[in-house]
Amino acid sequence: MKNIYLYYLSFFMLFPILGQSQVKSKLWYDGNARVMYNRDALEGTLKETDTVSTRSNGGGFTILDLGFHFTPVDDIEIASEIRLKNDFGGMWGNKSVVELRRLSAKGVVNNKIAFSVGDIYLKQTKFTLYNYEQELSEYEPSVFRFYRDFVNYENYYQSNYWRLQGVQTNFSYNMYNFIEQLDFDGFAARVRGQEWMGKPELLMIGGSAVIKSSNNLNLGSHYVNTFEILSSSNSSVTYYNPVLNTQLSYSGTLKDKPYKVLLEGGFSKRGWDGDSLAPEIKGNFMEASIHSKSKKGEINLGFRYVDTDFRSTGAQTRRINYNNSTTTYPYYSNNYTQRKVSLIDMMSDPNIYNQNLSTSLMNYNPMYSSISPYGNATPNRIGLTADIDNFNLTDYLSAKVQTQYFSEIIGQGTTNKRSFNKSTLHSLLSLDKLLSLKNSFDIEGSINIETVKRGGDDFEKINLNSILYSGSISYELMKNLKIIAGAKMFYAEGNEFIAERDIYDQINDFEDINYDSKETILIAGIQHHFTEDIYFTMQYNQFNVLDKTNTYDEFSLGRLIFMFNMNL
Amino acid sequence: MKNLKFLLLTLPFFFTSCEKDKIEGPNLNDMYGELTIIESLNVIGDSADFSVGDNMYFTASFSKQVDWKIKIEGLNSGSVKIISGKSNDINQLNSTWDGGSTHLPFFISEDCDIQLTFEMYDDTIYRQLNIQGEKEYNNENTVLITDFENGFNPNFTGFFNAGCTKALTNGGAGQGVKFLQQFGTCDWDWLIGYVDYYSTYWYDQNELVNNPSQVYFNIMINGDSTISQASNVPNSLFKIEFYEDENGDGYYDANTEDRYDYEFDVDWNGWRMVSFCYNDVDKLVLATSGGNAVRNPSKISNVRTLLLANPASGFAKADVDFLIWSFGSSILN
Repeated sequence: MKNIYLYYLSFFMLFPILGQSQVKSKLWYDGNARVMYNRDALEGTLKETDTVSTRSNGGGFTILDLGFHFTPVDDIEIASEIRLKNDFGGMWGNKSVVELRRLSAKGVVNNKIAFSVGDIYLKQTKFTLYNYEQELSEYEPSVFRFYRDFVNYENYYQSNYWRLQGVQTNFSYNMYNFIEQLDFDGFAARVRGQEWMGKPELLMIGGSAVIKSSNNLNLGSHYVNTFEILSSSNSSVTYYNPVLNTQLSYSGTLKDKPYKVLLEGGFSKRGWDGDSLAPEIKGNFMEASIHSKSKKGEINLGFRYVDTDFRSTGAQTRRINYNNSTTTYPYYSNNYTQRKVSLIDMMSDPNIYNQNLSTSLMNYNPMYSSISPYGNATPNRIGLTADIDNFNLTDYLSAKVQTQYFSEIIGQGTTNKRSFNKSTLHSLLSLDKLLSLKNSFDIEGSINIETVKRGGDDFEKINLNSILYSGSISYELMKNLKIIAGAKMFYAEGNEFIAERDIYDQINDFEDINYDSKETILIAGIQHHFTEDIYFTMQYNQFNVLDKTNTYDEFSLGRLIFMFNMNL
Repeated sequence: MKNLKFLLLTLPFFFTSCEKDKIEGPNLNDMYGELTIIESLNVIGDSADFSVGDNMYFTASFSKQVDWKIKIEGLNSGSVKIISGKSNDINQLNSTWDGGSTHLPFFISEDCDIQLTFEMYDDTIYRQLNIQGEKEYNNENTVLITDFENGFNPNFTGFFNAGCTKALTNGGAGQGVKFLQQFGTCDWDWLIGYVDYYSTYWYDQNELVNNPSQVYFNIMINGDSTISQASNVPNSLFKIEFYEDENGDGYYDANTEDRYDYEFDVDWNGWRMVSFCYNDVDKLVLATSGGNAVRNPSKISNVRTLLLANPASGFAKADVDFLIWSFGSSILN
């Protein structure tokens, strides 16, 4: 009942503004509308053997995220986004919520200095502040994209930006000599607020200065410091983590082919003031890459070195939090076992994702990502990368290839070091172009292979292989209505030593884990696009997680899902 | 500009030399590796004369860090010394032995068996050693009250209830040859008996340092671990009372001077060294008036040992030997 009043209140408050906006054009709006319904049902042997869990469960909701952008004067824009959500199954306002999803203001001072306050999206460099993609999402066939869009949207993941709350400003100077332009950017964000009898407030401040020269040489310096405010709690211990990153880039052409060389390096410091037991660690990093582009595609070659003790809160925070509970069947089997986060959850469950920056290295599952669980900022790595993007073999066949080879700089628990290999291939075959069909007919396939190896004595050897096959078919039955099907098959086999860390991120134990896992995801259905951003899809999904080490029971699930998405 | 491009392209390769040979985290070999004895157990300084301050130590090395334990057992005395540690080698720093005991009685001049064992592993290494001279516990860091080797000083007065025994006995002592037997049954009183060890008659007349945190009282007690039938608790209760002559008049006045008590159950069988810091004697029996409520070990004029037992419970026993003060640590450390 209370929510109904909120609806009316929102409507009557917003109506005059809407009305006025028709006249003076000082208000414009955007947003997203989504309707989703899914019904999950146990399948396979679990359906017979699990007498504790429900046979099926379902749920759905209608969401309208209405974004208002109000421009009281030319240089100021106030933006807010209000979510109206109605869970299916409620009546007369029950299970309905109205919440503020975003509130911010931005503007320009004297046409020179831009600023934003409130909810702001921040990104700097890949070593200072960067929100890396979730594992196994690269080169994903497009029929799975609706799940990823949903997950990313719900968690405020916009490209590789972190959503924070604070103030940000930037300005540029144009010059007309050797230095063409100077860009400055600064921000301050409150990562964690005050806690009653808890930890101190955690703030993040940062700034960038980039010099663009007339001979295509750019020099940039980026700084981020994440720190706690001692006076904001009764604690006598405060965390600090400054990170400095300097970038030097040069753009040129070689035999009419453009290229860009990027060299960057920097260092970090991380410690706790007031805690005599806490170590202060310092680490550095260095990355060099060359990028070139031609009609056939783009090529990137890179080298990266990241010290074992490199720590960066802004760049090493992971999206997936493996400690979170899954939404679908969090517990299953007669033993009421907690279900581990698996590929199906990574693909479709927004609730296992993290929206807050973490001051310590978050857990990861080496089965899904070992080579760079913390993106480029993964500590203790040295190696090479090579990738080819938009590789157009013919007008109907394109491909993307990526390969990485890395090694540890310091062995974990032994002087022998792990070596990591990752190879990824994605190809898109446009059969409509090949067969000169009127309707679009695409076949996509990708393969993601990752291996971790370590030699030495038997007790320290590591040999973990994981492989993800993905494929999809999308055929346009009639204009904008497609029949789609997709599959993902994931295999992991071998062993790894999981490092357990203390409160200071220092490794204090290892757990030897054996893997022999197979996960399958199958989807099939229809998808209709009204426009690029307005579509609905109705599908049947089948998921299976089989742990052959018998540590966990097999989990099989069927899902009928309907989703309507509209980006305003 | 060409030089700059060259610099950009070659810089990465300098970092390939940054690989390090350190280890992050605990050593996996220690956690999961097999135990191999690289160097077997050796006794360095065999046939040591501990009475003149000789030491001996042991050496061995292993393929991994492991919990190890050396047990030295006197073949005649039955005394046992345990030396243990966690390391991948045994050396002078972690295994030096000055002839002391972990389990009483004390070692004497004798041959000893040595056993080196490992936690979680079945490997055992056996050796033998010889003690030429037993360790002298009484030195400049101690004040010996009595070890009864010269008999029972008649100035140590006391009282034992009728039918209860206090007797100087030869053979089976915790230290040396002689010890004081105390046992009996008293069905009308908690007290079996007590002995007053007046400081005037202590074997050593050195003054105790007046820092209670540095002064330790040590006494060997031979129990029989009899359990009371009445209360189902150990039958023998031992109490030690420390009387402080605060005004230095040679006489303890209960009305104006402090007394500190320490008591415990004798719930073990055989000899055991009971040691405690004078600072830990927390039961202050306040004087009626006066008394400074401060532990002053240098003012102790009398140590009274009492053997007590529930009258309903029957037999009680607590032989004593080697009453000694030590400074800095307990006598066996």
